[in-house]
Amino acid sequence: MRTSSPYRANLLGLAFMTPAMVLLLGFFFLPVVLTSVFAFTNMSTATGISGGSYVVTGNLLRSLTDEGLDAKTIKALRQSSYIIDQAGLEKARTAGVDAKFITEIGERLKDRSFTSSSAFERELKTLPSRPTRVRDLKIAASAFEQSVLNVRYASRGEMEAALSHMLENPPQGAVEQIATASYTGWTWTTENFKNLVIAPDTWRIVGNTVFYVVLTLAFNVLVGLFLAITTFYLPSAGSGFFSILWLLPRITPVVLYAVMWKWFTWEDGFVFNIAQDLGLPAFNYMKGSVASAWTVVILVNGFVGASFGMILFSGALKAIPVQQLWASEVDGASRWQQIRYIILPHMRWPILFVTSYQTLSLLSSYEQIWLTTNGGPGSTTTVWALEAFKTALNNYTGNLQYGLGAAMALILVAVGLVLSIVYLRLFRFDEMMSKPKIEF
Amino acid sequence: MQISINNFTKTFDGTPVIDDMNLTIRDGEMLALLGPSGCGKSTTLFTISGIHRMDRGQLMFGDRDVSGLPSQKRNVGVVFQNYALYPHMNVFENIAFPLTVRKDNKADIDREVRAIAALTHISELLERRPGQLSGGQQQRVALARALVRKPDVLLLDEPLANLDAKLRLEMRSEIRRIQLETGITAVLVTHDQVEAMSMCDRIAIMKKGEIVQIDTPADMYSNPRTSFVAGFLGNPPISFLSGIAMENSFSVAPIKLRVPLGVHEGIADGTQLKLGVRPEHFGPEGDIAVEGKIAFAETQGRENLYDVALADGSVLRSIQPAGRNWALGEPVRWFIDSKSAFVFSNDGQRL
Ligand SMILES: Nc1ncnc2c1ncn2[C@@H]1O[C@H](COP(=O)(O)OP(=O)(O)OP(=O)(O)O)[C@@H](O)[C@H]1O
Ligand SMILES: [Mg+2]
Repeated sequence: MRTSSPYRANLLGLAFMTPAMVLLLGFFFLPVVLTSVFAFTNMSTATGISGGSYVVTGNLLRSLTDEGLDAKTIKALRQSSYIIDQAGLEKARTAGVDAKFITEIGERLKDRSFTSSSAFERELKTLPSRPTRVRDLKIAASAFEQSVLNVRYASRGEMEAALSHMLENPPQGAVEQIATASYTGWTWTTENFKNLVIAPDTWRIVGNTVFYVVLTLAFNVLVGLFLAITTFYLPSAGSGFFSILWLLPRITPVVLYAVMWKWFTWEDGFVFNIAQDLGLPAFNYMKGSVASAWTVVILVNGFVGASFGMILFSGALKAIPVQQLWASEVDGASRWQQIRYIILPHMRWPILFVTSYQTLSLLSSYEQIWLTTNGGPGSTTTVWALEAFKTALNNYTGNLQYGLGAAMALILVAVGLVLSIVYLRLFRFDEMMSKPKIEF
Repeated sequence: MQISINNFTKTFDGTPVIDDMNLTIRDGEMLALLGPSGCGKSTTLFTISGIHRMDRGQLMFGDRDVSGLPSQKRNVGVVFQNYALYPHMNVFENIAFPLTVRKDNKADIDREVRAIAALTHISELLERRPGQLSGGQQQRVALARALVRKPDVLLLDEPLANLDAKLRLEMRSEIRRIQLETGITAVLVTHDQVEAMSMCDRIAIMKKGEIVQIDTPADMYSNPRTSFVAGFLGNPPISFLSGIAMENSFSVAPIKLRVPLGVHEGIADGTQLKLGVRPEHFGPEGDIAVEGKIAFAETQGRENLYDVALADGSVLRSIQPAGRNWALGEPVRWFIDSKSAFVFSNDGQRL
């Protein structure tokens, strides 16, 4: 290798890394970047994800009142007025109002204004060319109606112009305030995070999540290890059968698996009937009580992770040189000491892998919970990922809050990153990975 | 402690590997199990250590029957062919392992480990991991680990197979030294006859799961019971001639060779026989003349090695001191030392 230049080796390394880098960018950085962007907006179904327009709605007026806008302005915004101007005359013409009548309105009422439709209509009835049918009169009148209520303005300037036109002597800053509030599109904001911190629900969900992840993870690793080690010591004929049996939760489609659990725990289900026969309390275990709901949630996810752990651990176990196991037995180690001193140290890397991988996937997984307890009873088994999913993508009220959901997801990503670093430190990953075994 | 194996039979998946073996290893002796690859040496060793269980038979340590005991309870030390050190423990922890699992107290462990490390000359390596040791150092660590809890029996499975020639020579005498110093009963598995002869008190030669002969190295060499044993010991190896019995002589008619059978008189004329001649018993001096041509010559420094092709195509090997050097193709008239030649029946039994 002395003859080849160091750059050559580096380029080769780079070439090896490229696919990984592309995948990393495409499937990790890009989603994270997008999530971060969404997290700092107030996007929702209402705002849409493209731009919006400016509308003053009844709801907006109510919330403006709450924000302390003065009653007079509110009243003015709520009202329609009738102003006879050139624009109104044009509008009447296009609405098909009798031309003679329009001319009369222009001549006699030009630049007058009325604050109610009845006053304006009364005035119109005095004109000689007035239409005979009331409906036509109303059509003519409506052409001169001016109101900002429920009118969509494409730009802020138009909205402000309309407001200034409507309001006589508005208080200082009122026009700007109303225009800002009337925007229907999304805006940049840090409100999502502030709201999350204040909301008392947040902390309950955090608690639920920690509880869920810690217990499920412990179940994953311990049961996975236990299964792997027991099947390892079992005669090979039996172990094959058991391996397949324990793999079922992993290879069954999620929906089917969830349905199985429902059948297992619901009213008139398997456990229900057994409990009934034994005279134990029988109810819908999946949703009937907090304790049983948690048990179901942890078992449902626990077995999936445990079979995942078992595959990895079994593979790692088979890779331990059998002479080391023989040596330990000859050295006098009991089964338990053999597990503790020989097998577990060999399992350090797979345990790290399963622990960190499972922590991260448990943190971000919600499918099984969604399909079984759906976070209930109440929101007792709602975890962060499920809440984020419901907030952003699956909401009963129909208003999906993408921004808030993204903020929740972003927090999840941050927590995941921090945890990964902690795990790597904890297991001294660098030591394990320090030197490549093949030298270039 | 004396070890006796009685009527030992072992079958793997229906294939018999050891059939009805009997073997006694005397107290404090070092016994070599010597034989070709696959003959069941490791199997025998692992059975003594309890890693494999006997299908039939009895294993006695002294007058204690250990046939049914698991390896943990047998107090044997084993050095595996690939050493089987624990890679995640340093040398100290590796050696201390048998004591750690026995729950000895820390101070005792420390003292014992250091003592055995001194004996095996690895005191300065205690902090290292197995991955940071040379083959010979690993081998000593394995030996130290096997010896540390003062086992009743030391079992070595081809411990020198992975070492280079020089280190192998060193470790040979090292292991023998330690075995003699500790007075432990030891079994050495090897397929290297030089190793077996130089290190052990007695050698058991195995063939296809049976012990063919068990003797001291000298007796085994000078008095082999079968042609297999004769062929297995000695370097350069013995050469064989095929012939028939004729008037109390071993006769190869085409080359008019006649070697008197001496003590083995009375063999029916015409019986197929084999004559084994060690290279040092064939040369310019002796009593039975044989003519041939040098077919191969190799100088080994102090000695020269020759193959002499006889007129019928059979070959006799000879080893001669350097000095008068014969050239390839040179015709020679050399002699067999008839009293040192071995006579075997056609199926390999010594007569
Ligand atoms: N676990 C096993 N399962 C099946 N057959 C085995 C097993 N272990 C050994 N054997 C067979 O038993 C025979 C003896 O094996 P053993 O390991 O004792 O040979 P050995 O004399 O130590 O050979 P070597 O010098 O190559 O190590 C071989 O034919 C081998 O194939
Ligand atoms: Mg072997």
